[in-house]
Amino acid sequence: MGFFTDTTLCIGCKACEVACKQWNQLPDDGFLFTGMSYDNTGQLGASTWRHVAFVERTTRLPGQGTPRDGTEAGTMAFAPLRPAGQPGTTSLLADFVAPSHIESPVPLGPTQRALSNFSWLMMSDVCKHCERAGCLEACPTGSIVRTEFGSVYVQPDVCNGCGYCVSACPFGVIARREDDGRAWKCTLCYDRLKDGMVPACAKACPTASIQFGELGELRARGAKRVEQLLARGVAEARLYGESALAQPGTEGLHAFFLLCDEPEAYNLPPDPVVPTKHITRAWYAMAASVVGLAALCLGAVAGARRT
Amino acid sequence: MRARHLPDDRPHDGRNVDPELGALLGEGSHQRVKDLAPSPAAPRSDEVPSLAYEADRGRSYYGLPLLKEPVWRWYVPAYFYVGGVAGAAAALGAAAQLAGWRGSPGPVRQRHPGVEHRLIGRCRLIATAGAGASAVLLIADLGRPARFLDMLRVFRPTSPMNMGTWFLSAFGACCAASTLPHLWPARRPWQRTVSDAAAFGAGVMGLPLCTYTGVLIANTAVPIWHGTRNALPVLFGASGAAGAASLLELWPPGGTGDDVVHRFSLLGKTLELALGEVFAYEARRVPRVARPLRRGASGALWRTAQVLSAAGLAATALSRRGSPLRRTAGLLGTLGALTLRFAILQAGRASARDPLATSEQQRAGRGGAAELTERDRAGASHPALRGVGAGRETEAAPREEHP
Repeated sequence: MGFFTDTTLCIGCKACEVACKQWNQLPDDGFLFTGMSYDNTGQLGASTWRHVAFVERTTRLPGQGTPRDGTEAGTMAFAPLRPAGQPGTTSLLADFVAPSHIESPVPLGPTQRALSNFSWLMMSDVCKHCERAGCLEACPTGSIVRTEFGSVYVQPDVCNGCGYCVSACPFGVIARREDDGRAWKCTLCYDRLKDGMVPACAKACPTASIQFGELGELRARGAKRVEQLLARGVAEARLYGESALAQPGTEGLHAFFLLCDEPEAYNLPPDPVVPTKHITRAWYAMAASVVGLAALCLGAVAGARRT
Repeated sequence: MRARHLPDDRPHDGRNVDPELGALLGEGSHQRVKDLAPSPAAPRSDEVPSLAYEADRGRSYYGLPLLKEPVWRWYVPAYFYVGGVAGAAAALGAAAQLAGWRGSPGPVRQRHPGVEHRLIGRCRLIATAGAGASAVLLIADLGRPARFLDMLRVFRPTSPMNMGTWFLSAFGACCAASTLPHLWPARRPWQRTVSDAAAFGAGVMGLPLCTYTGVLIANTAVPIWHGTRNALPVLFGASGAAGAASLLELWPPGGTGDDVVHRFSLLGKTLELALGEVFAYEARRVPRVARPLRRGASGALWRTAQVLSAAGLAATALSRRGSPLRRTAGLLGTLGALTLRFAILQAGRASARDPLATSEQQRAGRGGAAELTERDRAGASHPALRGVGAGRETEAAPREEHP
């Protein structure tokens, strides 16, 4: 089970963030205004298990516009059922006003012209629940386990607060709470799943940007969606981490995303790898070091004895 | 939710509020609410934050860190130093034992009233004191002693921190067994045998204890640590040797022991300096990753460590037995080895704060999955480690089914 987050459908309402906080009874983050767009949380953390990123860009997202320049906002993105290339709108006005009225271009003033080169990318970020999870493999106490739903779960009663998982996560998701001393992150609403409910964020999402379900089904949905978007001219649309082939470093994510720009724009690593994938190399280096150090000690002793 | 029973003498008119209803039962309710003391005002900046995106368009999210900074405080680099020194000292002592020296007071001491056994005695003392200090530092970092025991719940080769706790426990037990007989008032021959055997065991366990810390930090997502995973364990090993030698220079055992320490120190310090260069070279393969070694607090610490180590090496090379210069060499070497650990931790912090270090490293095909794919294509085998319940084997084929 997992999440498919279709960022083209995200409207940045933060309902998921609020639902997550409410269901899991997470404490507040200190009510700081970051000044970065409308993002007042900044990043995922010990008390923020869902985070909505607002990427402001001075470029246009193909298929995005305003009624003034002839395209209704999100015409392309919001109309998955309409064949590509046909006029259409999701506006409620469409029932009363002929589409030609809405789509007739209106001349723009200088301010609007300047603002027309602008687009939002919004993305609801969450723990990726990697198929091969860095935090889980690094945890020295066995506190982090994989559940029967395939998610990665931190048992707070076993966590000893060493903070190793924090550095082992290639996505910077899990964090240690300074006053609590333990590591926390999204549980994929394990308690809700146990009772046959969907996670709180997916339940609260009003645009179905966050979709929860069987991974195979979600992957098919994601692939179809990317196809649609590409057909509509959103050339940058791509899936992120949907399978082991697409992201060998983590062997696929249980929470994958549809992005409209490079992963870095959303603060996602372009080619993440679970550090443990390279650990054999480091253990070999250590073995060489052990042999070298032993030789050094023996050499020092043997050399001095001869004199 | 538990069944609640209201006292019967109160009217059940719906106005009675059960205080248990206010208890937090959600997943995250264990988290205490932060003490909302007035936070220091956010640093004022002349640049408009929302425009920061333009500077590195498409490459980072408002310049915010991509990774979480390591949360470790000064205990951890101090532990790296103490553990390294204790491990290397124990190894030196065991090497002396292996060469036929006798470490424990006993009949041999009467026959050869030389000073060489004092080297072994000092090595054992440094090792034992270091093992104790390591445990204290580790517990201080974790918060309470029971959490140290939590680390021994599992045996997991994918977690160097877990393996290190096992190394430290075995090392500490050996050190204790080698030192305890010395505290016994009337020594018996079997006690000496036990002591020698335990000290030899401590020497063997000291080798991984001294070097595993390199694997520990290499096995993280922090760009500079992950990128230097070949050099780090060797650098920590050499630095442990240099640190132990410096301590013995400060506290010379005298006699032939001094010559041993001198050679050990020369070799260890040379290797430490050389491997520092290898480490910096490995980091420099992606310029952005090596930036913390040049800039800021971590850069200053790194340069200080290099200068102190070089000065320590020069002083060792020029000093003679018993001269004050040798003690200076010991002091410089100790400070150098200590600063090195703090510099590497600070560099890791700075590196994790820089989102572009991560992305440039991965775009350059280093540290990312691209490297693994490349190696697969080259036909090299890299067997995956199996942790207990942790690891899944590296698979070339994608997983189709998910649990």
